[in-house]
Order: sequence, then C-alpha cells, then structure tokens
Amino acid sequence: MTTTVPARQIAAPTTTHSSSDTLAGLGTMVRLILRRNRVRLAVWLVVLVGMFAYIASYYRTLFPTQQSLDDFAAVSDTPGIKALTGLSAAADTMGGAVWTKGWMTIVLSLAIGAAFLVTRSGRADEEVGRTELLRSRMLGVHAYAAASWLVNGLLCVAVGLGVALVSTANGLDPEGTGLAGSFILGASITGIGLVGLGIGAVAGQVASTSRGANALASAVTIGFYVLRMVGDLGNGALAWASPIGWGQQMQPYAGNQWWPFALLIALAATLLAVAARTEAMRDHGAGLLAERPGPAEAPRRLASPLGLGLRLQRGPIIGWTIAVVLAALLFGSIIDAMTTLLTGAGGGVSNLLRGSGVKALLGLLAGMIGLITAIFATQSTVSLRTDEASGIVEPQLAGALSRTRWALERLLIPAVGSVVLLLVGGGLLGAVYGSVIGDPSQAMTMAGAALAYWPAVMVLVGVAVALFGWLPRLAIPVTWGVMAAMWFAMMLGEVFGLPTWLLDALPFSAVPYLPLEPMSWTPLVIMTLAAGALVWTGLARFARRDVQVG
Amino acid sequence: MSSTEMAVDVHGLTKSFGAVHALRGLDLTVPTGQVTGFLGPNGSGKTTTIRILLGLLKADGGQVSLLGGDPWAEAVALHGRIAYVPGDVTLWPDLTGGEAIDILCRLSGPLDLKRKKSMLERFELDPTKKARTYSKGNRQKVALVAALASEAELLLLDEPTSGLDPLMEAAFTESIREVKAQGRSVLLSSHIFAEVEKLADRVTIIRDGATVESGTIAELRHLTRTQVTTVLDGGTDGLAALPGVHDLVVVDGRVSFAVDDLGLPRVLSAVAALRPRSLVANPPSLEALFLRHYGDELASLTTGSQK
Repeated sequence: MTTTVPARQIAAPTTTHSSSDTLAGLGTMVRLILRRNRVRLAVWLVVLVGMFAYIASYYRTLFPTQQSLDDFAAVSDTPGIKALTGLSAAADTMGGAVWTKGWMTIVLSLAIGAAFLVTRSGRADEEVGRTELLRSRMLGVHAYAAASWLVNGLLCVAVGLGVALVSTANGLDPEGTGLAGSFILGASITGIGLVGLGIGAVAGQVASTSRGANALASAVTIGFYVLRMVGDLGNGALAWASPIGWGQQMQPYAGNQWWPFALLIALAATLLAVAARTEAMRDHGAGLLAERPGPAEAPRRLASPLGLGLRLQRGPIIGWTIAVVLAALLFGSIIDAMTTLLTGAGGGVSNLLRGSGVKALLGLLAGMIGLITAIFATQSTVSLRTDEASGIVEPQLAGALSRTRWALERLLIPAVGSVVLLLVGGGLLGAVYGSVIGDPSQAMTMAGAALAYWPAVMVLVGVAVALFGWLPRLAIPVTWGVMAAMWFAMMLGEVFGLPTWLLDALPFSAVPYLPLEPMSWTPLVIMTLAAGALVWTGLARFARRDVQVG
Repeated sequence: MSSTEMAVDVHGLTKSFGAVHALRGLDLTVPTGQVTGFLGPNGSGKTTTIRILLGLLKADGGQVSLLGGDPWAEAVALHGRIAYVPGDVTLWPDLTGGEAIDILCRLSGPLDLKRKKSMLERFELDPTKKARTYSKGNRQKVALVAALASEAELLLLDEPTSGLDPLMEAAFTESIREVKAQGRSVLLSSHIFAEVEKLADRVTIIRDGATVESGTIAELRHLTRTQVTTVLDGGTDGLAALPGVHDLVVVDGRVSFAVDDLGLPRVLSAVAALRPRSLVANPPSLEALFLRHYGDELASLTTGSQK
C-alpha cells in the first residue's frame, strides 16, 4: 500500500461511460439475439406478411368489380369499423378494402411484438442477472440494447417491406398512382413498429421487472389505440395525439403522405435516445422506479394461496382496474356524440358490429370491456405456470397444501376479478352514457351486457388451465397464441374462409350481443360448463404430473 | 509503473440505494499477484463493491481504481483484463452451457479452445446440455469455466463456489493456485473460511459497508488470541488471573483458555510450572477473527434465542 495509484475521483454523478466503447461486443450480441429469437422473428414476419397476403388475394376474388368495391366501402362506413380498425381514406379501392381489414391488426401486433422482443433481451435478461455476466466482459453499456434494437428494427423493416411487396404483387395500388401506395403502406407499418420498439425500450428503463416493462409498453400502445379510436369517432383531433393516428394519416392508396412517416421515425428515435441516455446514467439492475422497503411481517392472510396470489398480483389487478375504468369512462362519454354520426350511417352490417344503431355500438363497447377483462383473466391464470417455472410454488407445495387447492384458490382471482371488472366496466360505461341521455337504467343494462362475457372469459381461463396441466412448457406462449388466434378469427375469420359455425362458436362471438340482441342463456350455460370441464382436466393432470421448474 | 502494484485500490467508497446506505467509506486493496479474501456477513456490501468494480453500479463517492483505471468510465477496456464469477449464475434456458461459455469468452477476445477444454474436464461439465437442465452447481461451473479459460490479470470472484460439491471445490482451489502462480491477482469474496484461509494472502473484513479489518492473515492473527487446551497435573492455580488469559474452563481435567498473543510467553511459563501432561495450541482461525468482529451480533443472537 506504499505506492498507491492516483485513483480518480468518480463522485460526480453525471459521469458517463467513455463513448468509444459503448457499442463494443455489438456483433456477438446480434448473434446471441438471433440465436435466441430466430423462431420468434420468423413467426412474426411470416404471420404478419402472410396475413396481409391472404387478405389481399381473398379480396381480389371477392370483389371482382368496382361496383362490388363501392358496395363494400358503403357497408364499411360505420362507427364500429371506424372505431375498431379505422376506415381507409380510399375505401372504394382494392387496396383500401384490404387496408381497412388488416392494417390495424398488423400494426398493433407488430408494435406490441417489437416491445416484447425488446424486453426479452433487455429488462428480462437484466432482471435475472444474465446481462451482468455479459457486462463483466468487454461489452459496451449500450451494445446489448443496440443489438436488440437493430434486430427488432430490422423485423419492423422486413414486415413493412414484405407487406409493400405483397401489395405491389397483388396490384393493390389504384391505377395511375404507381407503387406509391404500397410503399407508403409498408412505411406506415414499419414506422409504428419502430415506435412500439421505442416504447418497449423506454419501458425497460422505467420498470425494474420484465413483467412491469411489458405491462407498461402494452398499456401505452393500447392507450394510443384508444386515443386514435376516440379521435376517429369524434372530430379527429385526438387521433393526432397517437402515433397510430399518424400512420393512418399517411393514407396509403389515397393521399399517399410521406411526412407523417417522418413524425413516426422522429418519435421512435426520440424514445430510443431517451432509453439510451437513461441506460448510460443509471445503475445496472435498477429501474427509474426505486425499490422501497416493505413491511417486516406478513399478516395471516398471506399464508393462503389466495392471499399470497392477491398480494403478488396487486400491481396487475390495480392496473387492469384502472384500464377498465378509464376505458368505460371514455367509451361512455363518446357514445352520445356519435348519435349524429349513427343516424347518417348506412344500413350495412359487418360481422363484428352486427348492426349500426346505438345499441350495436353499445354491444361492441361492452365486448371491448369483455376483451380487456379477458386479458386480465388470462394473465392472472398463466401466473400458475410462471410460479411453477420459477420454482416459487415449490416451497408452498412443500407445506401442507394440495396442488389442487393451491390452483383453485389462485383461480378465484381471475374468476371473481372478472366479475368485478365486467360489472364495474359495463356499469360505469352505462352510467356515463345514461347521465348524458338522462336514462339511469343504462347502468344496469350495460353492467348486464358486459357480465354476459363472463362465461366466455372463463372459457379462456379454462383453456389456459388445461394447457398448464397438459403442456406446461408451452402453456404460456400457446395460451396467448390461442387468445391472439381467437382475436384474429373474429377480425378476419370470414376472410380466411373459416366456417360460420366455427366463428359463431368462438367464445366471444357466442355471447349474446346485448343490448342489441335478446338475452339467450343457452350459450352462456354451455360455455360455463365447458370452462368448468377445461379447468377440471387441467387441474386433474396437474395433480398427477411432475412439478416442472424452468 | 505504480499501477502494477495494486490490482484493486478502493478508498472511502460510498454507495446508497435510495435511503439505504450500502457502502459507508469502504477501503479495499488487492495487491498484484496476490489473492485477497473479502469477508463479511450477508448484506454487508461485498456484492455492491464488486459491482462497482465491474462498472455496473456508479459509486456515490470515494476513489476506485481497477488495474489503474476508472471502472465506470473505462469499463469495456478494463473488462478485457478481468474475469468475473457471480455467486448466483443465471443462464439463457434455451442455450447450452457450451454456447453460454463461448459467448462470454468471445466477448473478451479470442477463445482459447485448449484452456476451455481442460477447464470443462477439470470441472466435469457437460457443455451440450441446455442451461435449463443444469443444477445450481452446474450453472456455477459454466461461469467458472468461462472465467478460468481466460488470461485475465484480475479475477473478481463473488462467492464462486456456492453450490459446488467438495470435489469441485478442490478443483477450484487448484485453479486459483495456478492463477496465483502465474502472477495474476484474485479478489475472493467468500463465506467459506477454510477456502479463504487456504488461498488468501491478505484478508479484508467488512461490516455494514465499511472495512473493519485488513491485512495479511499473519498480521491479523496478531490481533487475536491463541486457543490452548491442556491437561495439567498441577491444577490451574492462578492461571485464570494471569494477564491475557480469557474464558478459562475446566472440563474433565482438560483446561481450555484463550491467550492474547502478547501474554503468551508468561502464560506458557506458568503452564510449564503446572506440569502439563499434554498441550494443544491452535492459532486463531479466520473464523475466530471474523467472529470477533461480529461478536456483538452473536451476543444478540444468543440473547434472542434465550428469550
């Protein structure tokens, strides 16, 4: 200790890493991410581009004449279509028809997918300590994140480019406009995908867990979707507050605007810059939301699986409740403003809206509350597998607790939680709408309309439990896949030529469309029984199989 | 060059997480070519210190020098010269152990296939298994093989043998002796006193984020007591009263007590006069050193259990 090194003072909190090295190891990280995600990346690319290709080829046979396209444009011009998918600015062209059908699904999937892929290599790896191992090597502070942005950014570009090429190959551009529409379309998809990537990158800096990062990114993306929806239903101003609205304003096949693309790229770049800046400043492993000390003792109720489950899922429960309340308030407040629009709407019927009157719109919005509730219930149910995979269920099962009892208590959370969310969401929606039109009975009506979705939600819970029992390793991705497939089938089922009986049998389609349709108990009873059977088979299997960690 | 003297030189290091003060002026040195043991109870700041040395956490205050550089600003360049083994290794469940080792090694330069192979053999690790099938000990081996296959000048080891069986611990000990023989430096954070005692030239003991004792093991032994057990024909008259004698107990004719090193000559002559039939004197173990510094915590534990 005689000749001490002149050690440098590092107290200044603004010190950053020396800039030349921040990307060291980028190539190795790109290879690592490709190695881990090759299947996922390929699936996203093929599914999204393939979906567009299928819609395009199907519509070309379905609408052979301009007259048929005009008719389709007329029936598409409903508030429901505007709310759900947006209406193309060139609705009476082949490209416009395909856009209306597929664009919103593709951009939402890509934005959320990109955010989740960023979390997978970002916050998820940091949370469990894998990034620490990498960073102890010659890996620059930004290299892993930059590699993930690069790979997933390329996915966004590839999807956009693929859709553009499919569009040109199918000749979707109206005559005399060249290929501008196809490439505007591709660019709008790429741009929104990159914004989703940016949202995921920032969420991964703010939250200190991967679950939190994914929840935050999903909430922000869905928030942008709802802003756009309200904007499209109103005077359009709110749509400009949403990057999804910017993508719509590029108006492929119609206005063919490039400049909103610049907005999308600028927003994505800003988000990535904020994420990079935060990453350089903060401690490894920490989020912007610091950990606070908690209580030293647990109350007795936490010793039960239900009590512990409620405590551990407190964040998602609060988050989804807020989401349902906000959605209900928002939906309830826009319904009356749309009555004028509705009176002028044509009599066309889409599979989803099943009508164009106020009651049809109320039914659609009740269905949206049902959908949000379904996501909550599914998330809560797959936590059975999450807890098994991470090993935290083992100490509980090592106590005097049967597996079946553990699972059943935990399933009370999605079962009862869904009832509460549906009643609160439907009731609030009805109350707000009722207060505008001076009809207090709307609260009860809409609470009932939303509650009718409970058996459908329980079928999804049952599917998740059955998968948990029989295919534990694949349960989580397959459960979300079933959820997504059901959504795609509802949105696009008739395009893919799926038989009507199958589409009508999907849990969400089988629910009586209250208040437009009369109440019908048969499907609700059948779905409740089906849900019970699915839960039973899943739990019976879980009681017999190995508890599988990892 | 002065930077060759100290591989790690830390003075007055402070770090807080919110309201929690993890480090409060910690000092730590690792002389080049030596193994320094780093001891402290759980939560005393060992891992925080190592993460600051890795440039993963930013120090709030104090001076840190790692191989003569600033670990935060020059992290990447310095990491080419160090290797790190965490106490709790997580791997990508869908990659094999061999893949993980290659990724880690390649980040720090070309992969030395021969060294990697010999380390895989020494630690008996099957590199073709997916990481999700590894036990804790096997995951630990992945990090050990990746670290030991490198030519790093400095090894930062944070409880590196947790989860290893005794045979593998022996393999680890052998590896660290080789590293030392090559003139490389090691910071060994550990709970296993025997391991530190076997390997370390120097020891730093910390508590509540501050250094309480630091020096060579020989130096530290001076600060404590020799444990003596003897059977005396002449009784124990006056022994307990001698300066430097503590905790004298007689069980079945065996007399046990601790002696301050300074009082040893006088006590031994007194013992000799009492006609000892047998005598065992043990130097203080590292464990005893450690326990001395946490004596009051032990005391509170004991009183706690008596309640």
